[in-house]
Amino acid sequence: MNRDATGARSIPAKRSLPKTFLLSLPMMLLTFVMISRGNIPTEKGRLFALAATFVFFNILFFLMLRTGKTDRFRSILFLTLSVCFVISFISNLIAVRGSMAVTEANWIEGEVPFCHIPIPMNLIPAALTQTIIFPGTIVGGYASIASMFVLWLGVSLGLGRGLCSWFCFFGGLEDGFSRILRKPLIKSINVKWTYLPYAVLLAVVLLVALTLSPVYCQWLCPFKTVTEFAEITSFKTLIQTIIFLSLFIGLVVVLPILTKRRTQCGLFCPLGAFQSLTNKTNPFEVRIDREKCVQCMKCLQICPTFSVSAESIAEGRTGISCTKCGKCIDACTQRALFYHVKGTSLISSLDKYRLLFLYPAFIVLTAMAGRFVQDAMVKMIKLITTGSMI
Amino acid sequence: MNKLKGFLGYIWAFFAFFIALATYVGYDTFPQKLAAATGIAVSPRFTGGEVVRTIDHGAYKTHIHRPVFDGLIGEREKGFIQLNWEPFAGLPPVIREKIDYDGDNTEDFLITLDTRTGDTSLTAYNTSVRSMERSYKLKKSWAARVLLQKRS
Repeated sequence: MNRDATGARSIPAKRSLPKTFLLSLPMMLLTFVMISRGNIPTEKGRLFALAATFVFFNILFFLMLRTGKTDRFRSILFLTLSVCFVISFISNLIAVRGSMAVTEANWIEGEVPFCHIPIPMNLIPAALTQTIIFPGTIVGGYASIASMFVLWLGVSLGLGRGLCSWFCFFGGLEDGFSRILRKPLIKSINVKWTYLPYAVLLAVVLLVALTLSPVYCQWLCPFKTVTEFAEITSFKTLIQTIIFLSLFIGLVVVLPILTKRRTQCGLFCPLGAFQSLTNKTNPFEVRIDREKCVQCMKCLQICPTFSVSAESIAEGRTGISCTKCGKCIDACTQRALFYHVKGTSLISSLDKYRLLFLYPAFIVLTAMAGRFVQDAMVKMIKLITTGSMI
Repeated sequence: MNKLKGFLGYIWAFFAFFIALATYVGYDTFPQKLAAATGIAVSPRFTGGEVVRTIDHGAYKTHIHRPVFDGLIGEREKGFIQLNWEPFAGLPPVIREKIDYDGDNTEDFLITLDTRTGDTSLTAYNTSVRSMERSYKLKKSWAARVLLQKRS
């Protein structure tokens, strides 16, 4: 283990190959179990997709351990997850329903896949009426409500708001767009905007409780653009579609490119706001060593979710909205930022803390991405060989 | 004290690892257990509520759901009732049916449904029946919703 000038243990800049291999072995085993789900496919296309996914994921994890960089490799997998999710989801919708559009008949038959974003809006109706305000299915079918609740609960307990950078299958899109330009064209955003997600959360929770309809999904979700949207049969559904498109283009494409930040996640997403609270109920956090910090403010400038401020640096920690992506840790030339396990010493075992975080975080990311990456790969092979994904 | 906090921190971190692992290992069983333990269901505003009566017409059946007035706390003044007709193969070109939705042996409305086009019409026999919402062609049946006003 390396020690710096202050005597504190630090993360080794580069781990030796044998040690990296040894530390990667458990993840190789776990990712194999996760992505194969205990079945080795016999069909050539699926076997190839499984093997390619396994190798791809484990190369990224190996490089994370070998180089000490987290976000550099996480972001590749995170973007892959989102792109493959969109391919897999849309092709599945077209196969099952014949279209990306949701009809009112689909609502009545509970055929709308559930995602994690409407979860906080459903907590009050679920507690008071034992019902979920969403036209999906509780168990069974594609993306059932109970399965999303289980995933959300498990990931929230394990990673807190790390969910937004290691699980959310939408987040990779804006993360990807935010990396297109080398330098941001819009450099400063008023800090007041960071309160907007809490306002959106409050408004949506109240509106869902009052109207007993999934207001966010019907009116505000930017990701309807790349998943599914109401069939345009009226002026109302036309307006809804225009809103979805505008929010997607504005918050997921244009603003992330211009600001190099995750603007949907940091300035709008109500689940993100709710998820910030779960950062208090999990063991991992990102801390800042004030003695090492030279106040260059690079972490403040590059944090995708506006979670680092001058005040938080002075306090030696990132803000409550930190998604534990590791971008600030990778960027800090002084190695002043580090993953930390709550309750433990701040000056020792930094590499151990990082490893303790990386294992559950990478399991979450590979388990989420495994299914979609393989499915998208199989669909793409099908498209190339037969001319149709379906 | 610091040692104890550190020890508990490590235990917590290991626990997080096992939670993450268990979440995916138990992905097939946990949702069913959660649903069974909480008794949670999809809001009747989407499902139409439980079927309370079925009228057998021989070639086809009419399913009458319970009136849905469900609110967040208590019931609302305005609601709806859903009717389903199935199977498609047995349905006549036009269904014309008088419905007693609350089971008080008094017909509340007359509904007609053109099973070729989905066009509907409604004749209300009392003031609790407001208007026709619309009809829906589902996978196995035709459905229609009639808007209701709660009786005082």
